[in-house]
Amino acid sequence: MTAASVDRVATASAATALPVPSVDAPPATQPITWPHRHLLDLDAVSWPEIELVMRTSQAMKEVLARPIARVPALRGTAVTILFYEASTRTQVSFEVAAKNLSADVVNIAAASSSVSKGESLIDTIRTIEALGARMIVIRHPSSGAAHLAAEHFSGSILNGGDGWHAHPSQALLDLFTLRQHLPGSDLRGRKVVILGDVLHSRVARSNIWSLTAAGADLWLCAPATLLGGFERWAAVSPGVPGHGRFRVTSDVTAALRDADVVMALRLQRERMAAGLLPSLREYAARYCLTLERLALARPDALVMHPGPMNEGIEIAPEVADHPRSVITQQVTNGVAVRMALLYLLAGAGAAEETGG
Amino acid sequence: MADRASATLDGSLEIGRRVADLEISRAWLVDPVAGREGPGEIVVHEGRLEAVTWLDDAEGAGVEPGGVIVVPGFIDLHAHLREPGFEEAESVATGLAAAAHGGFTTVCAMPNTQPAIDEASVLGRVLAAAEQSGSPVELLVYGALTVDRRGESLAALGELSDAGAIGFSDDGAPIRSAAILRSGLLYAGMLGRPVVDHAEDPGLTDGAEANEGLVATVLGLRGWPVAAESGPVGRGLAILADVLRDEPRAQLHFTHLSTAGALDLVRRAKAAGLPVTCDVTPHHLALTDTWIAGARGWAWEDDADPWLGVAQVAGPYETSLRVNPPLRDRVDAAACLAALLDGTADAVATDHAPHARIDKAVEFGLAANGISGIETAIGVLLAAVDAGRLPLRRAIAALTSGPAALLQAGGWPGTGGLVEGQSANLVVIDRSESWLVEPEALRSRGKNSPLLGRELPGRVLLTVANGRLAFEA
Repeated sequence: MTAASVDRVATASAATALPVPSVDAPPATQPITWPHRHLLDLDAVSWPEIELVMRTSQAMKEVLARPIARVPALRGTAVTILFYEASTRTQVSFEVAAKNLSADVVNIAAASSSVSKGESLIDTIRTIEALGARMIVIRHPSSGAAHLAAEHFSGSILNGGDGWHAHPSQALLDLFTLRQHLPGSDLRGRKVVILGDVLHSRVARSNIWSLTAAGADLWLCAPATLLGGFERWAAVSPGVPGHGRFRVTSDVTAALRDADVVMALRLQRERMAAGLLPSLREYAARYCLTLERLALARPDALVMHPGPMNEGIEIAPEVADHPRSVITQQVTNGVAVRMALLYLLAGAGAAEETGG
Repeated sequence: MADRASATLDGSLEIGRRVADLEISRAWLVDPVAGREGPGEIVVHEGRLEAVTWLDDAEGAGVEPGGVIVVPGFIDLHAHLREPGFEEAESVATGLAAAAHGGFTTVCAMPNTQPAIDEASVLGRVLAAAEQSGSPVELLVYGALTVDRRGESLAALGELSDAGAIGFSDDGAPIRSAAILRSGLLYAGMLGRPVVDHAEDPGLTDGAEANEGLVATVLGLRGWPVAAESGPVGRGLAILADVLRDEPRAQLHFTHLSTAGALDLVRRAKAAGLPVTCDVTPHHLALTDTWIAGARGWAWEDDADPWLGVAQVAGPYETSLRVNPPLRDRVDAAACLAALLDGTADAVATDHAPHARIDKAVEFGLAANGISGIETAIGVLLAAVDAGRLPLRRAIAALTSGPAALLQAGGWPGTGGLVEGQSANLVVIDRSESWLVEPEALRSRGKNSPLLGRELPGRVLLTVANGRLAFEA
């Protein structure tokens, strides 16, 4: 047992004394079935359903530990991975997850498909359906694209990221990774800070739903130009059924002080061109997650990043490689969580087809 | 049954034919020009409104404003009929048929066609198409303010004016250059024509998808700030004040204002005596950006944000809700209604913007802007009337005497009222009936209405335009 984890146990009882939002977690034995044919975002996914994903992900993680990490759950099921944006880690993660479930996987990258010839998204979805796919994992630069795909597909759509809107599998793997490190897998009252380009981040948006549902003390921290509109969301959030309060600030010191978790977000260079930031240098000077800033957080604070990282801009290399960094675990867990999602969605789709 | 309105219509039921004899008795008449509403009867003979008779209390007992109403034909200051160039979305013929179904007897078409209506020959083509359509609905046409609506140099304003252009607009796009706006106001003023500005600061709306606010933030849509409208309205008013010293006939009209800030600027400018007018659309006063999140409550009844337990009865990202300017929040929608009530807004204009399915059946951010709205305008306003938010007479005035007054400034001979002796322009509406908005019910080629699937109050039974039958249910 490392010093950090001893510390974590010591703080566990303190955490229960914190004022916590009311999240009535059901006992783990309560039977819950996954009711959603699609996974488009987490706003409509209840906490018991999220816990089901967590339990299923744990089972998948055990599968991954086997010498032959492959189960026949999706044998004969055609899964198409349709990416309109370049992505290495998410695309490969979904592909590995689907193959581990013995699915037949087809990868379509938008640049090499008829999309570049002006074929509409709806046509593409219908074509993929006609070719036999039962599940589509879609990544698209336009917010709402996964919803549009879902309207025109009789199988299941798994949103692999749409515009600035949602990236539910990332938020769920973030949650899964966090729960592995917290006593009792309990986030209630834990201070989680999402630091960086919140405005353009689908990861931040999906994490708002899941982390407030988990009862975390969620903070979003960014310069004012990358935080627009979230103040208003934060103001209404305590009233959203099944979710809870979160805070926004541009004060990186206040955000990081006594944090249990810090998740840095990627900063894209095009934000400078859009006039949102003076320079990368200034951003790094004020918001980069450095060792010095990390020292504001709790000694056992976890460091996360959804990747890909700009080391030296939003996160210092020594923080990314820090013993408390769980960035690599996020990647590993991503496969287990995506296996769980594909498995659950396949079950819900099949249940729907048989009238269940 | 004596309490029911009754109508007799003699002669051909063919669209476009002169109405030989029409008598409507015991209906609720609304005449905003006379400033009067109440029980009455009308007689049309050989296309002329021969008699408008107001019944006294005893005679009119039992006639209610919630039954059959007879009102002047509606005038739409802002419609896109898409011809020439975009006939897959609408043609002059289908647009005028849709207008008649919506109770409109006069339609002002915007010049953002392909080619743009920036010279007299194109304008002539559009007027010829109206003639050929056989529709009795009167078509008026704006000319483009600048060549190809590029905002660089003035179009042939004098020739367009001679050919019948009622005003000048680059609508669909703002007038980017303050210098062009200035010279346009001067030159159009000299011709006795208004400049109609689509107020939008393109620097603030590059890539924008939805009103900047909670809905856009949560849905991850690029925000479209209210300042993108109020900024250019302020600029336009300053330029107008400047120009008036040299050309007192200069007139500036802001179309489809959608924000409290812009409307307040116009309110104050009017109070200061500037020759500025504006219109608001049915969708900006009745719908809010929460519809994009799946809410479907009218703006005046929508008392909570989505995600706070408000029923999300529809899926999010419905592209029929993508419109320029975007649907705003409740405060701005209420400001549009308030502007209508206090006269800041001179008219309700539909900004009827039909689109082919292919331009809307795409990702929200790629969808064309615009709502097909000429057939639903009166229903939306009547919903506000039914909710007690808008007096019936004001709703009718906003579609008749209000726009008529603007057109009269340019020499248009109509009245927007129920005036005896004139060519009959009137609409008969049964307010006790509702109708289901569905694609097959719309005469427009553009089925891009966010109201599809919804029941709207008030069924148009009959539209008579210029003495001829334009629509009959």
